[in-house]
Amino acid sequence: MTARTEAEEALEDNAARKRATVRRYLRHPSFMIGAIGIGLLLLVALFAPWISPHSPTRTDLMNTLSQPSATYWLGTDQFGRCVLSRLIHGAQVSLQVGFFVVLISLSAGTLLGAVAGYAGGFVERALVAIIDILLAFPSFLLALALVAARGNTLDSIIIAVAIAYTPRVAAVMRSVVLTIRPRPFIEASRAIGLSTWTIIIRHVIPNALPPVIVVATVSAATAILAEAGLSFLGLGVQPPTPTWGNVIAEGQTAITTNPLISLSAGLCIAFTVIVLNLLGDGLRDTLDPQMRRNTGKLL
Amino acid sequence: MSTMFELRDLTAAVPGEAGPVRLVEDVSLQVQAGETLAIVGESGSGKTVTFTSALGLLPKPGRVIAGQALLEGEDLLQLSPEDLRRRRGARIGMVFQDPLTGLNPVFRIGDQISEVLRAHLPISRAEARERAIALLARVQIPDPARRVDDYPHQFSGGMRQRVLIAMAIALGPRVLIADEPTTALDVTVQAQILDLLTDLRQADGMAMVLITHDLGVVARQADRVAVMYAGRVVETGLVEEVFRAPRHPYTISLFRSIPDLESPAGAKLAPISGAPPDPARRPAGCAFAPRCFAVEESAGCLRDRPALNADPHAVACHRAGMLGPAP
Amino acid sequence: MIRYLARCAAQFAVALVGIVTVAFFLMRAIPGDPALYMLGDFATAEALATLRARLGLDLPVWQQYGVFLLRAAQGDMGVSVVTGQSALAEIWAAVPPSATLAVAGMMIAICFGVPLGIIAAVRQGSAVDLAVMLLALGGISFPVFWLGLVAILTLSHALGIFPALGATSEPGFWKGLHHLALPALVLGLSVAAYIARLTRSAMLEILGQDFIRVARAMGVPERRIVWHLAFRNALIPVLAVIGVTFAWSLGNAILVEAVFSRPGLGSTILKAILSRDYQLVQAGVLVLAAAVVLLNTALDLIYGAIDPRLRRT
Repeated sequence: MTARTEAEEALEDNAARKRATVRRYLRHPSFMIGAIGIGLLLLVALFAPWISPHSPTRTDLMNTLSQPSATYWLGTDQFGRCVLSRLIHGAQVSLQVGFFVVLISLSAGTLLGAVAGYAGGFVERALVAIIDILLAFPSFLLALALVAARGNTLDSIIIAVAIAYTPRVAAVMRSVVLTIRPRPFIEASRAIGLSTWTIIIRHVIPNALPPVIVVATVSAATAILAEAGLSFLGLGVQPPTPTWGNVIAEGQTAITTNPLISLSAGLCIAFTVIVLNLLGDGLRDTLDPQMRRNTGKLL
Repeated sequence: MSTMFELRDLTAAVPGEAGPVRLVEDVSLQVQAGETLAIVGESGSGKTVTFTSALGLLPKPGRVIAGQALLEGEDLLQLSPEDLRRRRGARIGMVFQDPLTGLNPVFRIGDQISEVLRAHLPISRAEARERAIALLARVQIPDPARRVDDYPHQFSGGMRQRVLIAMAIALGPRVLIADEPTTALDVTVQAQILDLLTDLRQADGMAMVLITHDLGVVARQADRVAVMYAGRVVETGLVEEVFRAPRHPYTISLFRSIPDLESPAGAKLAPISGAPPDPARRPAGCAFAPRCFAVEESAGCLRDRPALNADPHAVACHRAGMLGPAP
Repeated sequence: MIRYLARCAAQFAVALVGIVTVAFFLMRAIPGDPALYMLGDFATAEALATLRARLGLDLPVWQQYGVFLLRAAQGDMGVSVVTGQSALAEIWAAVPPSATLAVAGMMIAICFGVPLGIIAAVRQGSAVDLAVMLLALGGISFPVFWLGLVAILTLSHALGIFPALGATSEPGFWKGLHHLALPALVLGLSVAAYIARLTRSAMLEILGQDFIRVARAMGVPERRIVWHLAFRNALIPVLAVIGVTFAWSLGNAILVEAVFSRPGLGSTILKAILSRDYQLVQAGVLVLAAAVVLLNTALDLIYGAIDPRLRRT
């Protein structure tokens, strides 16, 4: 037996565990596909002005509704705009909506859910009742009504979708918090006299974070679908600014002659949603096997 | 007496990173009609796995990789899944550890017993219900004609275990396997359940396998005992003999680790130090060697896996011949 | 049992008051003057004041809420600014085609989603499982209006099996069904994807329970274990999913109605939004939320019938 201190062994164990965690991520196919897919989308959105072959709004009236060609890889729409360039720029709107909606609804939902799951007594009952009632409103309809009342600029769309989907995040968070509440370290924090707020912010929320990260990916996907729906109905960001939803709507008029316009825009949305879901599945499997149950019912 | 149930060199494994991990290895046991065989060992020693794999109930990806499980001479492991299903419940019954989770919460008690009856017999609903009531009476549930329509949550733990026993004996099996049937129950209820099992065994001439870690239960209820350690049988024989003169160091340690009414008050217990080995990392020699008080390198303890000898009171230990009777 | 029924009824009533309250405050929490919004930026001060008085906007908020609640209790949701008709009556007229679509879609979703989810759970890890899960991932990832366009392109335009229009003015049950088929299929399959995923995970959890092991040990046939013993337990989570997806599918129904130019709540609400018919939008939102609450109350009653433990509390 070589003489090794316990500390050395512990250190080595720790490093090995970290390596094992990294390996687990790299080996998880859903996680890798999801992460690479999101990375690609981010690059496309960030460098859209440089990689798109044409301006997304420049009209070429000599070439309306043209089939795919060397100049226009995916053809042109009824105003002669390059469909590929519109799709590339459309990624900007979708990803912004996904990112900011998650930021808002997750912060609000996490806080609400944590309080509703932890506070107990009247506050808890009241919050749970409010969340339940809000859940009765079809989220998409709520977003629709809110956009209708606030106008359809990008930020009002983001706020509308965020408000509409916050109750769902809050409901998931509460179920997560309910599983954390009985754990010994919460009991211990209460025993040493920490205030409820301190416990919620310092202990409950950090421990609920792994499921929240999973919820974030799924919510981003839902938000992107909702924005696309609004755009499709003509209530999203207004043309000529390209969004995937309004490309589909505009392509609908030429669906039989130039189906590629609507089809390719739909594939962009589906690709984004699929990679987000795969990333979420991968995170769910790798972060903590226990939480499958908590986030399993998420919509 | 005839052998009702016999395991021959049963080995079950789950796939591991470095080849199959053997959960139980070369287990050979037999139980005669009207007899109770107790299986003793720590949790994780393979007691339950032995019998679930014999009945084809081992959860995936576990599987039996060698051996036979003979029910009245017929090897269950060679049967088609459908034929095996027809034997299970009908000719060999099993009672599990936790009666609280063993009953389906959304079905009435009577329907659950009928389900078992109708899985094996071509009888009508009404007939199955009549037999369910009779079975509830047989396991001493008061007012069975009324309780048959109750749901599991309306029954106490002990009563639920009675219902599960009623299901296990519903078709008059020749062999009953009881896997720690009383572990989850109150002490006062434990004795009632064990007495019920003994009564049923004697009335029907069943062979019974009683899996337990309670040596007191073994002494009171069993005729023969098999001690398991790390997936193997390490000692087996008549209960009186094994209790009077345990021969395997593990069995000896097991007796030393439990309190005893006859030992003087304040006498020190000797818990077994260390923990059983992880099935994926069992030592090359005797699996008990790292925790054994009699380990001796020259005897081969660290090199060879000891085989169970052929004595009526059999033991698997390199040092068995050299150890005196238990202190 | 009677107490359980009474409790469900009480919950339903409280939820109704709740949604009316939420609808009221949500609409008012939004910055901006509804009267100004309705009349446009060039409205005269008098016209604005008149409209405000008509909508009750000149009263303090609490008084407005009281009036609103009182009127809502009598089924009065205000008057459509555009047509001058009762808002509720106008919404109500649009309910039948939407309800038909929602019910047909839900039926298709259940008929596909539940069995597929169960089969995937029973064959966990097999090719069947993978195929079902990939289909389900596709179903939740493609926008429902896009699926509608694809259905029109393939089943209607290329193959000519179903008409592209989701409704017809011609009478006849079979005619109507023929036109309903595509929208219902598209709506149903997108919901079926969710139901399949969640049925699968519910069944997986239940198939791992002790009582399933007991049933196997007793020789109960596997088919009976899956489709009877385990399924009864899975019903509650599956019904819960159906309850949750119902609200979601109502949102999708708006989009499906738009794709197939099918009249209904979707087009009514959309038209109201575009013409800034504030009262009509509010009434529409309330009716849909009430439908969700009604369905969930019905589901609560069914849970009680399935699981005896729930009846006690």
